Amino acid sequence: MGKYTLNVNGASWTVVVESDTPLLWVLRDALNLTGTKFGCGIAQCGACTVHVNGVPTRSCRTPVSTVGTATVTTIEGIDTPQARALQDAWCELDVPQCGYCQGGQILAASALLKTTPHPTDAEIDTAMARNLCRCASYTRIRAGIKRAAELAAAATPANGKRT
Amino acid sequence: MSHDSNSGASAMDRRQFIKISALAGGGLLVASGFDTPPHLAAAAAPTTGLAPIADFAPNVFVSIAPSGVVTLIAPNSEMGQGIKTSLPMIIAEELDVKWEQVTVVQGDLNPAYGRQFSVGSGSTVANYTAMRRAGAAARAVLVEAAALEWNVSASECTTANGVVTHAASKRTATYGALATKAAQLPTPANVTLKDPSTFTLLGTRIPGVDNRKIVKGAPLFGIDVTLPGMLYATYTKCPVFGGEVVSANLDDVKAKPGVRDAFVLHGIAGLPSGVAVVADSTWNAFSATKALKVQWNEGSQVAQRSAEMAEQAVALAKANAPASLPSGARAVNAVYHYPFLAHATLEPQNCTAWYHDGVMEMWTPTQVPSSGHGLVMKGLGLSAKDVKVHITRLGGGFGRRGSNEFSIEAAAIAQKFAGTPIKLTWTREQDFAHDNYRSNGWHFFSAGLDSNGAVVALHDAYIKMLGGPGEMSATGFPFNAIPGSQVNSGKLRGGIPTGYWRAPGDNGNVWATQSFMDELAHAAGKEPLAFTLDLLATVPASPKFDANKMIAVLKLATDKAKWGQPRVRGEGQGFAICLANNAYVAIVADVAVSQAGALTIKKLTAAVDAGTIVNLSGAEAQVQGSMLDGISAAWFQKVTIERGAAAQTNFNKYPMLRMNHAPPVVDVHFIPSSAPPTGLGEPALPPAAPAVCNAIFAATGKRIRTLPIADDTLRWT
Repeated sequence: MGKYTLNVNGASWTVVVESDTPLLWVLRDALNLTGTKFGCGIAQCGACTVHVNGVPTRSCRTPVSTVGTATVTTIEGIDTPQARALQDAWCELDVPQCGYCQGGQILAASALLKTTPHPTDAEIDTAMARNLCRCASYTRIRAGIKRAAELAAAATPANGKRT
Repeated sequence: MSHDSNSGASAMDRRQFIKISALAGGGLLVASGFDTPPHLAAAAAPTTGLAPIADFAPNVFVSIAPSGVVTLIAPNSEMGQGIKTSLPMIIAEELDVKWEQVTVVQGDLNPAYGRQFSVGSGSTVANYTAMRRAGAAARAVLVEAAALEWNVSASECTTANGVVTHAASKRTATYGALATKAAQLPTPANVTLKDPSTFTLLGTRIPGVDNRKIVKGAPLFGIDVTLPGMLYATYTKCPVFGGEVVSANLDDVKAKPGVRDAFVLHGIAGLPSGVAVVADSTWNAFSATKALKVQWNEGSQVAQRSAEMAEQAVALAKANAPASLPSGARAVNAVYHYPFLAHATLEPQNCTAWYHDGVMEMWTPTQVPSSGHGLVMKGLGLSAKDVKVHITRLGGGFGRRGSNEFSIEAAAIAQKFAGTPIKLTWTREQDFAHDNYRSNGWHFFSAGLDSNGAVVALHDAYIKMLGGPGEMSATGFPFNAIPGSQVNSGKLRGGIPTGYWRAPGDNGNVWATQSFMDELAHAAGKEPLAFTLDLLATVPASPKFDANKMIAVLKLATDKAKWGQPRVRGEGQGFAICLANNAYVAIVADVAVSQAGALTIKKLTAAVDAGTIVNLSGAEAQVQGSMLDGISAAWFQKVTIERGAAAQTNFNKYPMLRMNHAPPVVDVHFIPSSAPPTGLGEPALPPAAPAVCNAIFAATGKRIRTLPIADDTLRWT
């Protein structure tokens, strides 16, 4: 049992849990942030994806004791221009089927768009291959990423300054 | 459109919450984000002391508030098939309201809602007329209310966008303004439904009603249910099918961090014997479960293994051999085999149960809520009214959640913890170990060709596991095109739990038969499309199989896919067709196979006749997704049975289709139709895999007769 102070979605949270508890279960059970999903428990499906210091991370294999002062962002808290564009594109193109994986998909895609504002199909394949969609909504996930790239570009003037 | 229909109970002070959480070491928060039916929301609302203004609620599906808010009940479980959007769309069409006015609320299990099963692609088919009538009846009463108000004939009034208009006197009234008056009028027993050609909402693209919540991570799924004071449970069953608990190290487990109790459950009807572990968090329950050591009575199924089943299948095929081919016919024989499959819904099985005041209240991600209700009633000796089922969103169904063993597991544990809500969550390993698998199957085909290459006989010895779905007869295509066709069935001895996996039966059988038809066309020296069109032209007219519809979708798909253009070695096209749930589907696959054997699916083209399309966006998504689901299964997936248990335990041993395998182009074309809607959650799945396998043959000359494709090499020189 240990006491951990975590930086999640811009707020400080203190939890008292077993030190081997994965971040996933701290988010879901202790902080009631259930948008981060349990899929496999072995970092194979990507449903539990969160950002740790901006990097897509499998929270099911991240013990709470290793998080320290890192910045954790979940699907409930992500508010980057890329994520907003993805969320809008997901709604516009009706991407979700069951929807269970989509939080993880959006977090993976938002990291991709941050480094690669206009990804090719091959770049989408590489960045998204770790996130399983059991409904196989890949056709629209791919279209959604491309649409989000357009939306994000439209929201950002060519000179790179936010209006 | 407003879909924020929760009870607004989430505004708990964050600091206060952390304090509680830190003390409890687990979660504590009232459920938020779940739909609350209007009557419950009203009951929970603070009393103002004023007389309530009546909503207009002419039937259980529709209610219209004086404010103009239209609330429609979605009776069936949403698992990604879009039913929470499409059934209310049907009501809204006949009601003549703007979709933006509509709030959709998920219905609980309630006999008044009619058929609440979401299986067999049947929800839209079975509820189409009931939903239309619900909307039309409400509209008729609103028109009557306006006519009385204006002292005009109802027949002179028209409706559109939630407004009644009397054109002659240029008067209009919103449905909201008419609600109170309408609430005092009787609902007509008979109503006139719209001419489908006048539909304005059906056939358009309407995004899923929960999309905005999904992309924000709002709690919608069964596994997200959180109740005050809730504890977390696991339930461990014997890895060998049918095995039972003899003893377990319960005291060791009870000593693990956060564990509140551990106990054996045995002898409850409908509940497999097992060990329950209850803890203050999911992780503590999972961790303690890892320390569980159970002595099992494994039972007789421990002798089962996939390799031995293959031997049984050969013997059964001999014992069930069809008649010999006509004399002089050239024989084409082939054996096709597909393995067991897991459903592997991404949300593992779970259920939250709360036994309080003599009532078992459950929140269940289930495709058939009445099944869980019945199991819990019978198993725990409760009356029907004392078992309440709230239907949550499902993180995938695919047939898995038709059975409800997780319901009685959670309820049996909750009954021992009266007053405390219990959330049962299966680990992924438990989910793989205790599925109702798609049965393995074998087809021993034998066809006869005459000297002109015409098919004169088609025989099949079909072997599958005893029990479960997937029976097959000689009435379907291509058997119905060839007089004297025979399908004989033999059954493996059983004991492995098999069940409904998306497009039951067809998901394997259509792969086998459509692959063999391609093989037969090549053996006959005929071009496969011409071969199939010729056969379809000979199918006798039947209400069960409309050959003209099949010919139409096959021509459309092959036309759109530019069928028959010359291709370089290593690239190829294949097609396959299927009638399922009354929908006619043809799929063309374009593939490339490198010399090293790497398969790339470049494009899928589908043509579908599914009658009236309710939601174009949802319909297209179902066809896209089910094609890829079928290809995922055929390409990668296999459950093997060793020592009476599934050998695959998680996604690392059970690969599935990922983004990098998905084709960049997936085209879906619907045949325009005003016929009633058919099923559409499943029919495009079965023909996808044979289209790909036939394309692999065209590209490489390699015929895939055993699944999964990944078990074989596609290398060519």
